[in-house]
Amino acid sequence: MTTPATRAPGDECALDQLAAGERGVVAHLSCEPSIARRLMELGLIPGAEVEVIRRAPFGDPLEITVRGVHLWLRRSEASRIDVTFA
Amino acid sequence: MSRSPEPVFRRVAILGNPNAGKSTLFNALTGLRQKVGNYPGVTVEKKTGYCDLPSGRRAEIVDLPGSYSLQPASPDEMIVRDVLLGLQADTPPPDLIVFVVDATNLDRHLYLALQVIELGRPLVLVLNMMDAATAIDLRIDVPALERRLAVPVLGISAAKGEGLDALRAVMDRDVEPSTRHFRQWPPHLRRVIDRLEQRLPNRASLPERARRDVVVAMLLDQGDDDALVRHVPPDALADAHMLARRLDEFSPSWRAGDVTGRYERINVLVAEAVRAPSGARRDTRSEAIDRVLTHRVWGPLIFVVLMGAVFQSVFAWALPIMDLIDWGVSGAGSLIGHAMPAGALRSLVVDGVVAGVGTALTFVPQIAILFLFLSVLEDSGYMARAAFIMDRVMAKVGLSGRSFIPLLSSFACAIPGIMATRSIDNRRDRLTTIMIAPFMSCSARLPVYALLIGAFVPNRWVGFVTLPGLTLFAMYFIGIVAAIGVAWALKRTVLRGGPPLYVMELPPYRLPSWRSVLTTVRERSLLFMRKAGTVILAISVVLWFLASYPKGGEAARALEAGRAHAVATGDSVQAMTFDRRIAGANLEHSLAGQAGRLIEPAIAPLGFDWRIGIGLITSLAAREVMVATMATVFNLGNAGSDMHPLRASLREAVDRRTGRRAYTPLTGVSLMVFYVLACQCMSTLAVVRRETNSWRWPVFMLVMMNTMAWLASFVVYQGGRALGFGG
Repeated sequence: MTTPATRAPGDECALDQLAAGERGVVAHLSCEPSIARRLMELGLIPGAEVEVIRRAPFGDPLEITVRGVHLWLRRSEASRIDVTFA
Repeated sequence: MSRSPEPVFRRVAILGNPNAGKSTLFNALTGLRQKVGNYPGVTVEKKTGYCDLPSGRRAEIVDLPGSYSLQPASPDEMIVRDVLLGLQADTPPPDLIVFVVDATNLDRHLYLALQVIELGRPLVLVLNMMDAATAIDLRIDVPALERRLAVPVLGISAAKGEGLDALRAVMDRDVEPSTRHFRQWPPHLRRVIDRLEQRLPNRASLPERARRDVVVAMLLDQGDDDALVRHVPPDALADAHMLARRLDEFSPSWRAGDVTGRYERINVLVAEAVRAPSGARRDTRSEAIDRVLTHRVWGPLIFVVLMGAVFQSVFAWALPIMDLIDWGVSGAGSLIGHAMPAGALRSLVVDGVVAGVGTALTFVPQIAILFLFLSVLEDSGYMARAAFIMDRVMAKVGLSGRSFIPLLSSFACAIPGIMATRSIDNRRDRLTTIMIAPFMSCSARLPVYALLIGAFVPNRWVGFVTLPGLTLFAMYFIGIVAAIGVAWALKRTVLRGGPPLYVMELPPYRLPSWRSVLTTVRERSLLFMRKAGTVILAISVVLWFLASYPKGGEAARALEAGRAHAVATGDSVQAMTFDRRIAGANLEHSLAGQAGRLIEPAIAPLGFDWRIGIGLITSLAAREVMVATMATVFNLGNAGSDMHPLRASLREAVDRRTGRRAYTPLTGVSLMVFYVLACQCMSTLAVVRRETNSWRWPVFMLVMMNTMAWLASFVVYQGGRALGFGG
């Protein structure tokens, strides 16, 4: 896991690598097609800005905001969403 | 509940994303004139109500389940799509769609709205929570939206009742469907869609543009879309699957091509029609609450305290009401008893029907109290946080955070617990949760544990706990372990499936409205009484018959003679002893008694004799009935709440054939393990039947649980004897 200190804007990483409070722009979803479609319908389309709000108390899932909506999803899904660190 | 005397002028469907305020609007429009049922074949709730329009005509209103997309990901969303595309046999497409969006979040809520507008059906777009939008200084250009979408647009606040008159007026007039399209398919996909569209059967109910959505559904189908199987020729569906695979090779992103297109249109629309104040628009109040309620330490702590309070309330508050019902039912029973001549009919009415109604009624307080809390938690937005906190724990058994609360509720009673599984949107998770809920030791098992622990477990200290306490804990623990095992097995066999997506919205916190909370409580209670209560009543009557007939037998006749003699000599104490022995002899002679003997060979390896067999059979009405049955079998009559005489009788019971003690502590443990695992509660089966809409699952539950119970008790009893605990 790259730490915030070593990460520069423009770097690509998986959504679950972002720390709470960090933002990124969705670049690519590599989940199974029907899951990717649903996540996109919920607003996680390439180009959308996401922010990681927090991790759940036991470490998983994580809360994010996208298009003004708060969602939680599991790290297994988040790890398949590539974002450009912003 | 009210039936419409006048003919319905127009059928209106309310539709929108979850948390758009659909139900609030539905309640505001229909008042309490609504009824709740099920769509046939599935467990999705169908809420219908009536609304009077300004012209004096009447509209029927259907509250469709909240959805995110017409490409369904849950049984709820499947129903919405089927109704809108005209694939749902019992619910034709509505004459008018009232599409509700959260005015403060058009960015996301317009997605489904655009999908539905594209269907080309009459639609009015309702911007709900306009008051909240105004409060954060959000200005929405309604005429611009009307122009761009070509549908009527209205700003309302359903919670405050603002704008409802205008909405009723729109519902009264004829609305022209929009002709707008908001997506573009690339040419190669367009050709595939056109080709498949020609393969569809001609049906008047399917407008031109809905047919295209059926084709898209065919292309995206994973082979689990039942409505398509019903409505589309099999060869066309097979071709669609084949074409989809070819498209996957050509350009894997085709499956979501229309999603991106729609969001691009939404960005343009929102930029034109919405003026947001500068600076990030955030719900600071909800975020502040979340910093505490989902905090790493405080979050789980508050959750545990809250659940403890809910659980304790269901337990403690329901008890006096249940006692009151018991008191009322036995009062009614004796009143009727006095009014009727003694005989079979009186016994049927008092011991069969009235007792059966009593059994069904005693569940209602627990159901009502649990749903009171659950709907407050749901409407306030906390439920999504609870699932967020517990997801990690439940993921370990292959479920999600959504399953936690139904399972916790099942410790009070599996019936409300199983009813609470409706909030689980994943079908396989929901069925798994239903199947493991009865393993949670419910409050009806407690009297049985209390009886047996008191009779057979010595009151000794083991470290800093007592042996009886430890035994009780072990019983709860065995149930949980069995549930985990069964969940694990089901998820790998009958309920196996593709990778599920667990994603959930965390809605802003809101104050729940009492009206909607009380509506939920009322609905749940009535639904239970109507659907499960009738089954429970029928089973109670059957069990009454089994425990009452045939009458007499030689032993009872001899005892009757003895009683007559005692009454004649004025020895009332002696007469009462005879009464209790007659009751015992009658039960022993009845079909239930004979069945107890009949099953003895099957339960003897578990250490149970025919007397326990009778208790197992009467437990089918409710587990705690076992205690009363054993009291009757041991000629103790109705001993009330004092278990001491019965405990002594159990300890001292003698096997009539060998002359030795019939039950040892090992028998007690084996019997308790049996009660932990066995499916004995007919009421649970009635609710499972209702909630799964099939007999398959309750039968499966019965066979699975009782097999497990038998095997576990066998291992405990025979293993215990082999180790020398036989006594």
